[in-house]
Amino acid sequence: MKRKSNKKFNKRPQNPLNKLSLFQKSDARFSKKCPLSGKDAPVVDYKNIKLLRRYISDTDKIMPSRITSVSQNKQRKLTSEIKKAKILGLI
Amino acid sequence: MTFYEHTIIAKQDISTPELEKIEKKYQDIITKTDGEIIKVEKWGLLSFAKKIKAYNKGFYIHYKFKAENKTLDEIKRSSIIDNSLLRHLTVKYKKLDTETEYFKEKDINEKKK
Repeated sequence: MKRKSNKKFNKRPQNPLNKLSLFQKSDARFSKKCPLSGKDAPVVDYKNIKLLRRYISDTDKIMPSRITSVSQNKQRKLTSEIKKAKILGLI
Repeated sequence: MTFYEHTIIAKQDISTPELEKIEKKYQDIITKTDGEIIKVEKWGLLSFAKKIKAYNKGFYIHYKFKAENKTLDEIKRSSIIDNSLLRHLTVKYKKLDTETEYFKEKDINEKKK
């Protein structure tokens, strides 16, 4: 008698971030693409307030790129553009 | 010749004929110093995020034009002196986007209805 392959165990949906022990490395990584660069990316401009509001905290601080995963180049542009909007009192 | 954008914030308690005077005044400054106006946008009365000199609201006027250095000096100098303005901002652009308008007066009226 041949043993059936244990398909049942493989079929179970597993969260790749789950870990059995603390020291085991998880397979998945947080690899998020920059939301502001690419082909259909929105325009970063001081008049586009709806977009700028997303990258500001409740206390009007600029969010760091490690949280929003914005690329270096676009983060530099975001900060200058937010500061312009603040001068005009839009944000 | 390069492209520029210039926005002005006028005080809230200014009457409408005076607003039109202010709007004309800066158009004349651009045209007299060999500039070229591409577009003028009136954003209307908008409320500030924070108080500016004890004012809660202001009239926004937005110019898009093509000019050289001397017009910029003239515009900045006159908008600093002007008592009816609260703030101003000029931005330099390589390419001007004249189609998209972020502040349309229609949108405000629709919300009221």
